[in-house]
Amino acid sequence: NLIKGSAAMSEKTEVDLTGVKQNTGVWLVKVPKYLAQQWAKASGKGEIGKLKIVKKQGKADVSFTLNEDLTSLSALGEKAASVRAPRDHPFTMHSVGGQTLAVFTETSADKISLEGMVVQRAECRPAVNENYMKLKKLQIEVSTKPQRLTEQMDRAVTNNFKPVSNHVANVEYEKKKRAEGRMVRADRQQVMDMLFSAFEKHQYYNIKDLVEVTKQPVTYLKEILREIGVYNTKGTHKSTWELKPEYRHYQGGEEEIKGD
Amino acid sequence: MASLGGSSSSSTEYIVRVPKNTSKKYSIMAFNSGDKVNCSSWTQARMERDMSNRRMYGVEETEEGAAGSEFGKKQREEARRKKFGIVTREFKVEDQPWILKVNGKAGKRFKGTKKGGITENASYYIFTQCPDGAFEAFPVNGWYNFVPQAKHRTLTAEEAEEEWGRRNKVVNHFSIMLQRRLREQERGPDDDDEEGEKGGKKKKKKGGRGGDLRIHDLEDDLELSSDESDSSGGEDGDSKPKKKEGDVKGKVKKKKKKKRGSDSEANEDSDDGDFEGLEVDYMSDESSSEEEVGEEKAKSNKEAVPKGIDEASESEEESEEEKQNEEEGKEEEEEEEGKKTPVQTKKKRDSSGESDTSEDSDIDGEAASALFMKKRTPPKRGGGRGSGGSSRTGSRPGTPSIDSASTSNTLRAAASKLEQGKRQVVGGSSESPAAKRLKMESSSTAVTTQSPAPSGKSTPQPPSGKSTPSSSDVQLTEEAVRRYLIRKPMTTKDLLKKFQTKRTGLSSEQTVNVLAQILKRLNPERKNVNDKMHFYLTE
Repeated sequence: NLIKGSAAMSEKTEVDLTGVKQNTGVWLVKVPKYLAQQWAKASGKGEIGKLKIVKKQGKADVSFTLNEDLTSLSALGEKAASVRAPRDHPFTMHSVGGQTLAVFTETSADKISLEGMVVQRAECRPAVNENYMKLKKLQIEVSTKPQRLTEQMDRAVTNNFKPVSNHVANVEYEKKKRAEGRMVRADRQQVMDMLFSAFEKHQYYNIKDLVEVTKQPVTYLKEILREIGVYNTKGTHKSTWELKPEYRHYQGGEEEIKGD
Repeated sequence: MASLGGSSSSSTEYIVRVPKNTSKKYSIMAFNSGDKVNCSSWTQARMERDMSNRRMYGVEETEEGAAGSEFGKKQREEARRKKFGIVTREFKVEDQPWILKVNGKAGKRFKGTKKGGITENASYYIFTQCPDGAFEAFPVNGWYNFVPQAKHRTLTAEEAEEEWGRRNKVVNHFSIMLQRRLREQERGPDDDDEEGEKGGKKKKKKGGRGGDLRIHDLEDDLELSSDESDSSGGEDGDSKPKKKEGDVKGKVKKKKKKKRGSDSEANEDSDDGDFEGLEVDYMSDESSSEEEVGEEKAKSNKEAVPKGIDEASESEEESEEEKQNEEEGKEEEEEEEGKKTPVQTKKKRDSSGESDTSEDSDIDGEAASALFMKKRTPPKRGGGRGSGGSSRTGSRPGTPSIDSASTSNTLRAAASKLEQGKRQVVGGSSESPAAKRLKMESSSTAVTTQSPAPSGKSTPQPPSGKSTPSSSDVQLTEEAVRRYLIRKPMTTKDLLKKFQTKRTGLSSEQTVNVLAQILKRLNPERKNVNDKMHFYLTE
């Protein structure tokens, strides 16, 4: 009765193929983390910089220059104030090679569309200079800091483990109990009705659970149970009570009113 | 966009934007180049998440609704799991694989598994060029590697291992899947007709993986000694009833690939595959040969067989077998319908009626065994044959019963004699193996060629005189006893040993009685040697 995922499979979404039909080509660019963080800070139209492509005798040199306003680093803490993100990033171009890469998008409305094929792969590298080295140093410092720190304290903590005459939880429990009071024997027939309705929901019950459900004293409840039910000692439903067969009307989930 | 002119270079600058409020999540769909996927050729595509890994709460355990459920079971189970520290991974829909179906039901299917860790150290961006010339960069959310899913049936791991073991034997690889399909059909809805049909059709082709037959692999002991005369390749199994020579239970082929027809899968004729076509004994429990103890003995007797005899009888073999098969067809069908009997040898003589010789050879041992290497049928068959001689399967023209009257008579006589329990052979006198062989050959030819009488080397009739039904070699006769006693003194025990029940065909009681009579007649002298009473005669 395992309801496997197949039953719960989402509906198939038709994929919009316009992108590939038009042979749209895109670039897949690998960008360093810090740069991506800077880009996320872009404002307004989202301009982040300029891409410069120089075509020289068949070869193309591509490089990206970060906008000035995005060079301030805040992600790395106060120390980052002196360091700025590098601006020049030459691109290393790669061929698409052993993989056929396509790009697809999902909208929040679960619409899927194929945007296009990757025609060029590139890696965005920062121009290696003094600035970049400083940045890297900063990053390393941040990352090597241990997550847990051991500190020595001057005075011991004394908020806990003090002896208490009566624990808070205990006190509350006792109050609650007093409020409820002792369980009163209700009318026999009433109790039986309660039991029947309970057994409609589940077949097996623990005596404790029944006490909670019916709010009856245990001995009284047991008496009634002995009348209409049977106690399971063995089997999977270890020590539970269930209704006698003549009272049961289970039919694969359907419930009927069990009568006397 | 600024263009800078240069002598041999031109450079252009483009603005790069990262759109802020994009609701679209970008992902990469990666295919292996080897799969030769051309997205632009797709007419239609559907994609969905593969939810097969989802385990819903409480559904793992049997869900029964009101009946059988306990109050608070769920909570208790959860508490229990927590106690034991069982941590079930949360099912995240975004991490589930994709199922991509291209060009509808008949098209290709792909499964795209998410590649982990791509956003950990570096980010991927998709750069697209906008109509206004600027570039827009979108971060890649996930990378999915799509692999095509096989639509054709594949073997499971166990099956694959099995097939791997048989790779040298099997040439027809198409039948592998065929068998698998057949087996599935058997396991599945038991549609007898369908199965029978297909079985019938395919049985010829498929290699037998008969259910109740165990085939033992002879790869270990592939010396083609006579012991392995009977070997039907595993392939034969199921095709038996359907074979024309249906009754070829004793594919008395040693190593010869004569009746390859039974092999459903063509075996390679490679050098090292010389033994591949070996037909293997079926170790089925209900082999009829088990009933014949003698056969076991005979089998054990089959030691090194002089090759000459093989070759000589080789030519006869086929025809013999054919004939024998036909003859025995009936009996075999009666007895072994669907059973494979490890018939080691067939008694050639059966057909020829030379029951004596064949039996003799059986019992005699080596020389005889040579002849009967593979041509034996149990006497029962002989009996059945005798009785059913007339009603033999008429698939072959000119079966012995029909042709020569004389031989048929002798045949019947021989056959009936045969039926007398043990290896009783209609007594011929002891003849040399060579003679016997000749006799057999001639008799076989006699049968095949419908000649009225075997070339007069011998008759199948028991020689008159001693009427004791005994083997030609070892007869409990007065003459024989006399000879022994003249030679040297013997005790009764010794004498009895000389006339073994197996050889004489008499029961022990009979032997004793007969011997006693003979001794009375002979009245040998008595001598006590070593406190034992010895008899002796002086001539």
